[in-house]
Amino acid sequence: MTLMQTITEKARNLAVRSPWIYRINAGSCNGCDVECATTALIPRYDVERLGCQYCGSPRHADIVLITGPLTARIKDDVLRVFAEIPDPKVTVAVGVCPISGGIFRESYAVHAQVDQYLPVDVNVPGCPPRPQAIIEGVAQAIAIWRERI
Amino acid sequence: MNFLKIFVRNLVKGPSTIPFPFAPAWTPERMRGRIQFKLQSCTGCRACEQVCAPGAIRFDKTPEGLRFMRWHNTCVFCGMCEFYCPTDAISQSDDWHMAHAVGEKYGMAIREVIPYIACTGCGMKTLASAPNPVGVAPPFTPEEIEQQRNLCPACRKKALAERGVQS
Repeated sequence: MTLMQTITEKARNLAVRSPWIYRINAGSCNGCDVECATTALIPRYDVERLGCQYCGSPRHADIVLITGPLTARIKDDVLRVFAEIPDPKVTVAVGVCPISGGIFRESYAVHAQVDQYLPVDVNVPGCPPRPQAIIEGVAQAIAIWRERI
Repeated sequence: MNFLKIFVRNLVKGPSTIPFPFAPAWTPERMRGRIQFKLQSCTGCRACEQVCAPGAIRFDKTPEGLRFMRWHNTCVFCGMCEFYCPTDAISQSDDWHMAHAVGEKYGMAIREVIPYIACTGCGMKTLASAPNPVGVAPPFTPEEIEQQRNLCPACRKKALAERGVQS
């Protein structure tokens, strides 16, 4: 039993090294997506210092960034892709659109707020948020992810 | 030989990555960030509610008074409320540290009440809001603002007429 616990503990310490990020665009205007790309690609901000890397497949992801107000057109696809991401996952809502709907709030064409459909963990408000604010949100998400794994 | 120049420059200047999550980040001076509200200066004119495109500002009539509500999570930082506020009761700070856990979602708001008082002139129930300074010349002194705050709209008009201005 103790051996099993030790192995579990060791495996956990190994596993929490580098969370990979997957980005879902739920009908965003591209503003937040540009800021997300900036956060990762420009050496000035460089989210890879936190061990994060953007991955192309939802099946590799640990942290999910959601942008956009979840338009009616994209809703089913977003839910399907989100279901493909393995647990434990941490969801970060980037920008005011997924949090509250922002400028599109109460529109017939959007299903904001996203947390009605998906379990969101961290909110990063802003229109769009600064890259530093996204890094701040990702740092909070990593703290949650370490507890959850 | 160009690489030597770049090499020396990088050696002198250090890394270009800002060390943000581990050290404070630089913020531009005129950064449009979180809105601040000063209840003492609010006239209750509701111009900010009118111009707010995402509907982040709302005024409600409650038994205690006129309640100002602002939800930061739907604000797009356009600055229209600050621009149209006649008394600078609304101002934009350069605070952008707004990432929060989802439990605090509805705590990211300003809720303040302009209370009802009895007018010192006629005793009528009225809002203790600041007077509207638009078109008042010479401008109000701080003592006059406090005096006007305790008056109902009719008594304010009378006081302004006695002062000798068109309002």
